[in-house]
Amino acid sequence: MKTEEHKERAGTFSSGNQNWIIFLILFLLLITFLIMDLFFGSVSIKASEVIKAFFSDNESNFGTIILKFRLPKAITALLVGIALSLSGLQMQTIFRNPMAGPDVLGLSSGASLGVAFVILGFSGNLSPDSLRGLGNWILVVASWAGAGAVMLLIMFISTRVKDIMTILILGIMLSSGISAIVTIMQYFSNETMLKAYVIWTMGSLGNLTAGQLNVLLICVSVGVLLSLLSSKMLNALLLGENYAGSIGLNVRFARIVIFSCTSILAGSVTAFCGPIGFIGIAVPHIVRILFKTSDHKVLIPGTILAGGTVMLASDIISQLPGSESVLPVNAVTSLIGIPVVIWVIIRNRKYSGLF
Amino acid sequence: MMQNLQKILTFDSLKIGYASGRQKNILLPPLSASAGRGELIALIGKNGIGKSTLLRTITGLQEPLGGEISYNGRNILEYSRMELAREVGYISTESIKVSNMSVYDLVALGRFPHTNWTGIIDSGNHNSIMDAIEKTGMSALKNRLVSELSDGERQRAMIARILAQDTDIMIMDEPTAFLDIGSKYEILHLMHLLARESEKTIIFSTHDLNIAMSQSDKIWLILDNKLIEGAPEDLMIDGAFDHLFDSSPVQFNTDDGTFSFRTDDRGTIFVEGDGKLRNWTIKAINRAGFSVSENKTIPFITIPSAANSNWQLTTESNSAAFQSIYELVNRLRRDEKRPI
Repeated sequence: MKTEEHKERAGTFSSGNQNWIIFLILFLLLITFLIMDLFFGSVSIKASEVIKAFFSDNESNFGTIILKFRLPKAITALLVGIALSLSGLQMQTIFRNPMAGPDVLGLSSGASLGVAFVILGFSGNLSPDSLRGLGNWILVVASWAGAGAVMLLIMFISTRVKDIMTILILGIMLSSGISAIVTIMQYFSNETMLKAYVIWTMGSLGNLTAGQLNVLLICVSVGVLLSLLSSKMLNALLLGENYAGSIGLNVRFARIVIFSCTSILAGSVTAFCGPIGFIGIAVPHIVRILFKTSDHKVLIPGTILAGGTVMLASDIISQLPGSESVLPVNAVTSLIGIPVVIWVIIRNRKYSGLF
Repeated sequence: MMQNLQKILTFDSLKIGYASGRQKNILLPPLSASAGRGELIALIGKNGIGKSTLLRTITGLQEPLGGEISYNGRNILEYSRMELAREVGYISTESIKVSNMSVYDLVALGRFPHTNWTGIIDSGNHNSIMDAIEKTGMSALKNRLVSELSDGERQRAMIARILAQDTDIMIMDEPTAFLDIGSKYEILHLMHLLARESEKTIIFSTHDLNIAMSQSDKIWLILDNKLIEGAPEDLMIDGAFDHLFDSSPVQFNTDDGTFSFRTDDRGTIFVEGDGKLRNWTIKAINRAGFSVSENKTIPFITIPSAANSNWQLTTESNSAAFQSIYELVNRLRRDEKRPI
């Protein structure tokens, strides 16, 4: 009896230890990729120059590239990875759907509709380049509103339709519908506005102004904080809303907090970097495989670390180290994310709709 | 004694149903009933009559459309969601679809109303969880993933979860549906233990009248126009079940609480002999549509004894021997008309 108890304790502790080891490895990977991201780019810069850029006062050309271009881009990649992955994790839990993610269910499209309204509709003579100060916030809030509206619509649908694949198809329909609206708006907009919008849709991590990066940093910080605060609620929602209510969760309150959080995270990223696919859906699954748990107290920090790491890695790959050409980062994230998604679909056939 | 039984849950003129906008869709006439501490209560009624709705309403997951529900004499509306979760736990028929969730994690969710906002499981909570796991016999499976459990084991884990929730009342919507017969009785045994030893009030809905009759302290019977409550035997004596099967070919025998099909009476047979063999023989000839007469008449059956190892069927015209009940019944069924 006593030895059994002893073993049991040891068991709990060792699984805790394992988690810490995975956290540590993920953290080290994140730091490594963050540093590597500064070393690679379309201009080849020696390692010594990169280090010098941080510690010398005189501004060389290389120093400018590192500090004014590569560092902000690396930070953007980090924030984007964290934000999209967290919003994907929250959506998968709240919809109890392994295929949920900001891009798949149309949240990114919703956000882009918000952006289209600002750039094509109301801003008249405002182009993204001239969106400064308050303009950034207008863009972000429009993006939140778009993402939030889609989120509500999907929630409404999912109370009536339980089938995961059906909701997925409806999400795709929703995205198509929204792009149709955007296309109509494009048709009626003038050349400057159109160009500004098309550039935005190409998605980029490197085009953010310092002001935009600040706004993104604030939004993602708020989102991360809300996520950490809501981990207990998310755990309760794993069993569905009936059970969550029966164990004492105020489901309406939880929904408001988590919906806002998801919309802020996905909306802000889409506002500044354009639609970036498959990170949000794939990273939470990678984290579940690594930690083998459904506990959000572990999954949320894990997703933050893994999301940042995967996005930084995607950015490094998109630089095609050793060459001068650069791939669109959206293509790289898709190539990384799609195999994970396919794997989840195949595995789910066995367990019929687990997440 | 009866007066001393503490009423832990009561509802009075309760209207259940769904409200959409201003339109109220009330399923049943106002219902009233009560539950005492440590009682095992079976909720019975036809499919679709509103059993699940009633259970969800008294759990507080659905708004009542009228009437009053009180826990320990305090109106349910005065409880916050969190307070209510410390009074009543709930298991629905909904299946849980979570991968990577261990039995321990599932049971730990029961501690939700007892942990702070971080949801961190301290040693006190850990002890409650381990206690619940042990009481439900899940100790060996506690690190197993819920998705890998059998239906019976999963139901056990769900019961461990509401046990960890540490409520006086447990509400279970068809806890034994979809279970094989062994698991079904294991779960019932567990419910019985929890009611007797841990003084939990357990309210469960079921379609199985046999289970309800033999296991429950009280039955809440929902009929089309009312809810009747009472001990199974009281309801039986009052004839409350008579109308439950009015329109079906099933007959509920109020003498012994068993079911049979309404079949044509094909005549009476006397059975000579006694003991276990006699009982099984009677069961078989009943199934063939015959009833058993009290007095020695013709035809009659002599069941195997020390002198004779065969079943002997004696009619007015002849007598035949059969080596098994199967052969005997085949002979009885072959005669379309009464004759033999």
